[in-house]
Formats: sequence, structure tokens, C-alpha cells
Amino acid sequence: MVASPSAPVGTRPNASPSAAGAWQPRPEQSRARDPDETGFVVRDGVRIAWERYGSGEPTILLLPTWTIIHSRFWKAQIPYLARLFRVVTFDGRGNGRSDRPSDPAAYAATEFVADALAVLDATGTERAVVAGLSMGAAYVLMLSGDHPERVLGTVYLGAALPLADRDPGRDEVPFDDDVGRDEGWARYNAFSWRRDWPGFVEFFFGEVFSETHSTKQIEDALDWGLETDADTMVTAEHAPYIETTENGVGLTGRAAALALAARSRCPSLVIHGTSDRIIPFAVGERLAEALGATLVAMEGSGHDVLGREPVLANLLIRDFVRGLERGS
Amino acid sequence: MSSVSAAHVPTDALDRDSGRARLPDRSGSAAAEDGVRLAWDVYGTGDPTVVFLPSAPIVHSRQWKAQVPYLSRHHRVVTYDGRGNPRSDRPTDPEAYADDRMTGDIRTILDATETDRAVLVGLCIDGVWRSIRLAAEHPERVLGIVAFGIGVPRLAPAQPHYQASSATFHEELPSAEGWEKMNAAYWRRDYPDFARFFFSEMTTEPHSTKAIEDAAGWAADGSVDAMLAESETTFPFDLAQVEATCRAVRCPMLLIHGTEDQCQSIQRAHRLAELTGAPLVVVDGANHMIPGRHPVLANLLIRDFIRSLEGSPT
Repeated sequence: MVASPSAPVGTRPNASPSAAGAWQPRPEQSRARDPDETGFVVRDGVRIAWERYGSGEPTILLLPTWTIIHSRFWKAQIPYLARLFRVVTFDGRGNGRSDRPSDPAAYAATEFVADALAVLDATGTERAVVAGLSMGAAYVLMLSGDHPERVLGTVYLGAALPLADRDPGRDEVPFDDDVGRDEGWARYNAFSWRRDWPGFVEFFFGEVFSETHSTKQIEDALDWGLETDADTMVTAEHAPYIETTENGVGLTGRAAALALAARSRCPSLVIHGTSDRIIPFAVGERLAEALGATLVAMEGSGHDVLGREPVLANLLIRDFVRGLERGS
Repeated sequence: MSSVSAAHVPTDALDRDSGRARLPDRSGSAAAEDGVRLAWDVYGTGDPTVVFLPSAPIVHSRQWKAQVPYLSRHHRVVTYDGRGNPRSDRPTDPEAYADDRMTGDIRTILDATETDRAVLVGLCIDGVWRSIRLAAEHPERVLGIVAFGIGVPRLAPAQPHYQASSATFHEELPSAEGWEKMNAAYWRRDYPDFARFFFSEMTTEPHSTKAIEDAAGWAADGSVDAMLAESETTFPFDLAQVEATCRAVRCPMLLIHGTEDQCQSIQRAHRLAELTGAPLVVVDGANHMIPGRHPVLANLLIRDFIRSLEGSPT
């Protein structure tokens, strides 16, 4: 809904003509802040779209998350943080203005991390504060653990890391078997996605934004989710997730997460909703413990505090970044 | 001058509401000429004083929750609960809600808060028509008027759903679908459901669940008996009298009306603009509850209107 004042009807000398003009109409999905610079990096023929906002110090790299949405999920952070710092975002492969490769290997977490490094290079960014939501937390951890020279500090929100058991209901249906059900978490399934992708997106973001009065956040996420498609998402689902090597040995899953956390040396902030239905709060607790980081428990919040509690999230990020400046 | 008591009486409604962005600096209650007590709050300092008027006993002064914290940073802000909800008295005599008394309440509050003159901000009939009447009859008390959801009776016909429901308001209806809920028996049976329905109709913009929940909560703070009494009053003026009163207003005014207003037809807003020469801001896609649902727009319009007064002779 867009409100736009029409031309005033009638005038009187001492009534304010500026009153009617105080509010500038704009389309709802226009941006509060447009990028100052945009571009693409190309890796193995895959184009990754990036944006840069503002010019302050330091740079904050806002990472992609699961391919189901693209970089606009940072929409409530960018306009504020770009007033204080330099902000770089990019669309993860598979959504937004980035390409949608058809090989599952192209969606490996290592590829997202390599994209992040390429975007830092392309934007002339030597080091950055790195922030990630949900699956983005794996990319944050891999960057800080394996590329510490590029990372000033890390912010983890609703971190999707294998550090605690998930609600068993989440995994009741095997992803690649057709059980013919399109309801609840049974929708988390390749066949269900291909039958009714919008239905899954709507269900999923209803779980993400479990707080009351979240219709706008859900509607936005649904728009972004419909910019990709079931085939792309099924492809990406078969890609490897968090991984690293230690003493020449390849690690995945929990072992990789713990090794990366132990190796991570930069200051870190962990933010997690206590009512997160996607990733249990216990994951945030264990991540903070493994990192020796401050844990901010968002009482009653769901999975995406960036979208649902933007002011609080923005101030937490701002204060964390300012704290780094004082410490340097 | 009406009497002033030192502290307001807390109610469950306000306890529930304890997480306010801004708490009043001073609260009290004042007795109107007929003895009905009205609860008021004062926030901030700074000229001129802005008085936010009540809009019918279905809600109370928290309807201005998105305006008070912003405007009280620059101005002295006065709000009060209208007759019937929730800290003010809740008379059940229809005469207590007569136009004279409701208009008189504004002066009672101005006196009680030691406010010589103020900018009046109102929504709907209780907010808009009564500020026009006060400005016409006591121009020395009113610096300017910001009018939302232009409620001036007679200037154009009532909305069709009001005409239909008022025809059967006192009948026992076999069903309670839609506007059939606007019915005395139904109010007695399930007033909270009526309130949810009513505010859903008044706030049809997408993503309005919070605004609807708030307003339905303020209704629940009130009283069905007060609502029924208020509904018994009849508007005492004919069209010619209303038009003459509107034409008599000399202070600056700003009119704001949504294209989707389901309470007050936009024809009333256009007619009031013609009668007064006041600018009308038409908000595309907005329904009736502009201050609650479009608070930034409402706040900036109020702010700029007040700023425009500062340069004018007063």
C-alpha cells in the first residue's frame, strides 16, 4: 500500500503549502538507499552480482544465506549501516541477479566463500566485518577460520550450524522420496517443491517469522523466494555444506564447525532468537561457547531478527563494529 | 477552572500498556460542568500546545500512541480519554454524550491543563466536527486544526453500511455477518468480536494486524453500556447550520483523508475543503485510521502544519 498525497484542494494564505508536500510518494519496493556502486564477479562462468553502499570505515560484508532469498533480506540493515560504514552485499548463486548454475557442486559452501572473497577483491576491500544469517553463518565461520587475514570481526544471526539436535519433526520426510504430502515440514521435499514451490516458501517463512504481526516480512520473503525456482533449489540442496581441513584431514558437519570456531581469532557476536523454530537456540549458545563470543539471546524472537527486529539488530551490529574500532 | 487531581487512577488497561515509548509528565482528571470526570495527560514542553482529541468511546487516548512520543519532543502535548473509555467516567445516560457536552469537554481539558490556546488534532466526528465547533464558537482557544478522516455530519450522506446497520440497530437479527455486527444485541453478546470486525473494516491496508489488535484492545478497555448510550444521541444541527459553522472557522486547518476511508466518505472531506478553503491531503489507498496506520506521514504532516503557524500572525 502506498500513500501519496494528491494536490491540495483549495489554499489559504497562512496554511502550510509545505504540509501537503512533506511526504514524498514512492513505490513500496523502492529502496530507502540505492547502491553507490554495483558490479559482477565471474567465477567458473557463474556471475555473482554485488553492491556497495556508503564509504565509511570499516567495510561490513553482509553475506548471502540459503538460496531461497537474495540480498534484499538485508534491506532493513543497509540504509542504516551505510550511513556509518561501507556496506557490501551480494546475491548468492541461485537467486536475485546472480546466475543459477545447474550443477549441485556449484552450490557448495566453499563456492559461496570463494564468491565472498572474490567480491571483497572486486570492491577493493582488504578486510571486512562479516555478518551472516542462518546458512550464512557457515560462510562467516569458514571465512574467519580459513581466511582470517580478510576478517575484522564476525556477526552470526540464527546460525544454521550442526551444533545441536534439530526438532525431529523437521526431518520426518526424506528429501528425495516422493511421499505425496504437501503439508507442514513434509513440504521440505524435492517432489513437494516441484509440485508447489510457492506453498513451501509461504510455509517456511511462516515458520521463520513466527512472531505476531509479521505479514510484511513474510510477504517480502515470498517475493524473493519466487525469484528462484524449485529446480534451482533442489540442485542447491544436494551441495556439500560446511567443510574445512585440519592437519590435512577433511572435516565436515559438527567437526568442521568446531574446528573452524577454535581457529577463529577475531571478535565475534552471536545473536539468536529464543523461539527460533528453524534453528534451535541451543545452537547459538554452543556457537558462542565455541567462539568465546558474546551471545545476545533475543527473547521470544524467531529465526530472522534482521527482518523482524531490525532496530535492535542494527544497533547490536553498530555497537559491535564500534567496539572493534575502539579495540584496534 | 475545573478541579485537578494530582494523580490519575491506573487501570488494568494502562498497566498492560506499561511499555510506552513516552510516559506522561503529568496526569490528572477534570470534572466537566455536568460532573463527568475526564482523565488527561500532559507530555513535554514547547509552544504551541497540541491537544489530541478523543474519537468516540470505542477507543481512548492511546489511539495517539504513535504521535505522542514524536510530537512531545518539540511541543507540549495534551491527550485525554473521552467520556466512556477507560479512565474517564462512563455515563450511561445518552444525554451525557450530547454534542454540547462533548464539545465542552475540550474547553474543560484546556482549562484543567492551563492551556489558553492550542492546536487541535482529531480523527472522525468526535475529533473533527467538535474542533470545528470549538474554533467557530471560541476562536480565541484554537490556533489551528489538523483533521483526519473528516467526520462532519450532514456534509455528505453516511456510508451505506452505516445507513443499513442503523436501520436495524435495535432489532434482534437472525445472523451476525459483516455489518450486522453493528447491532445493539450483538454488542451485548460479543462486543470484542464486533470491535475486531469494525477495526478490520477501518484498517484494510495490508500488514495491519498490529493496528487492528491495538484498536480492538482499546475497545475492550471500554464499556458496551457507554457505547450504547452514545449511540442514542442525535446530531442536533441541520446542513445549513453545519455549513455555517464550517465557514465561520478562521484559524488555519489541514485536512487529511484516505481514498479508502470506510467510516467517513471522502465527499465530506472535499466539501469541508470547499467550505473552509483548507488544503486537503488525499492519501491514496489509506482507510480511516491514518494516525495509527500511517504514523510517519501523519506525524510529519502535523509537524509541518504547526511549523507553518509559527510564521503567521496569531
